[in-house]
Amino acid sequence: MLLLFVLLQGLALSMYFTFLTFPRSQYMTTASYISGHAFEFTNNITQYLHLKKNNTALQKENVRLRSKLPQNLLQLDREYITINDTLHRIQYEYLPARVINSTHSKRNNYFTIDIGSSQRVERGMGVISSKGVIGVIQNVSENFAVVRTCLTEKVRIAAMIESTGEHGFIDWKGENSKYGTLSGISNDSKIKKWDAIVTRGSAGMFPQGIPIGKIVSSIIIEGKPLWDITLLFAENFRTVQRVYVVKNQLSREQAQLEAHHQSTNTQ
Amino acid sequence: MNLTLKNIVRFVLFFVLQVLVLNQIEIGTGAQIMIYPLFIFLLPVELNVIFLMAIGFALGICIDAMSNTYGLHASSLLTMAYLRPAIFRIFAPRDGYDALLETNLYTMGSKWFVKTFGILLLVHHFWFFMLEMFKLNEVLYVFQKTGLSALISFLISVFLQFLFLRKPKRNEA
Repeated sequence: MLLLFVLLQGLALSMYFTFLTFPRSQYMTTASYISGHAFEFTNNITQYLHLKKNNTALQKENVRLRSKLPQNLLQLDREYITINDTLHRIQYEYLPARVINSTHSKRNNYFTIDIGSSQRVERGMGVISSKGVIGVIQNVSENFAVVRTCLTEKVRIAAMIESTGEHGFIDWKGENSKYGTLSGISNDSKIKKWDAIVTRGSAGMFPQGIPIGKIVSSIIIEGKPLWDITLLFAENFRTVQRVYVVKNQLSREQAQLEAHHQSTNTQ
Repeated sequence: MNLTLKNIVRFVLFFVLQVLVLNQIEIGTGAQIMIYPLFIFLLPVELNVIFLMAIGFALGICIDAMSNTYGLHASSLLTMAYLRPAIFRIFAPRDGYDALLETNLYTMGSKWFVKTFGILLLVHHFWFFMLEMFKLNEVLYVFQKTGLSALISFLISVFLQFLFLRKPKRNEA
């Protein structure tokens, strides 16, 4: 009796802790076939609850993008020539997705989205919304993917303060879904309230400069030359429904180069 | 209705209610409604603890698969199932349990129900949140989460019984 208890308990706990540290398998997550379809079904019913708010957010983004269209710009030079641009090349693509399941009040919170490997989603890609950063893809199945959001312990998204360029990592203390923390900023530098925190773009997950949040308060960590910065997230994780998965076309090149560099350094 | 069939239907209903409805409700301050311990609690008294644990583990794993917790619910429900016979023994009525009656709010009385189910629910919730946080310096936050969630879960469990269970007829002989 006690033996069975210990045995089953050991099974459950080992599952919990291995999944937490090496989230490889997708069978026991919401990316699996059955739960993915179940959540898609319920989301089809409940998505109308936040429809108004989401439409406003998308409309705002449309306005911003529309203002950048060439037809809206005043032409200053009448005799322009079209140039086939060879200096710029598209590096980031955005795959639109819908959030079909989400949590916000647990210690580690995940979103399930309705696109997967058949839509070219891969593990480790960044996820953003129209307002800011959401998280990183953790598990992918054929038609669904699980996103590790900013509301997890150790989400480790590289971020920087936009005005100074000082960079650190995003973290979450697990209490309020509105506030996160930024760690690793040296306390030599001055911190201004309401400075924007944006992505650093160093790991190739996100382009540089995607908003994450704004600085609300900063305290010096005792015994360390670092600031403990609290930030207000740009996105409200409770109501977000439409997200984009960021596909970096050069990520493989960067990873290969960095791996090569590391292996040659250690030799 | 056949007892086995009744419990299978209950298993499915508790599972669906927990995963598709209650998991989507957010109360704030970290509280979380979990009513599936009531299913294990309402299983027949004379059921062997081995079956209790197996059923608890299975239900927990099913809920885990639908909420990205990988074994957290299974582990806490298993603990509760393991402790159920001991708690039932401590609070046993003077002339023992009636094997034919279900151990719910009506048949056993509210005092007994508050004591036994309260303790088991607190154990379940505490185990759950302790594992979820897994940090000693956040232990006060764990207590806060446990207390608030257990209170709400308890009230909803009572409410569910008011809704779905019929009062047994008193046989006045």
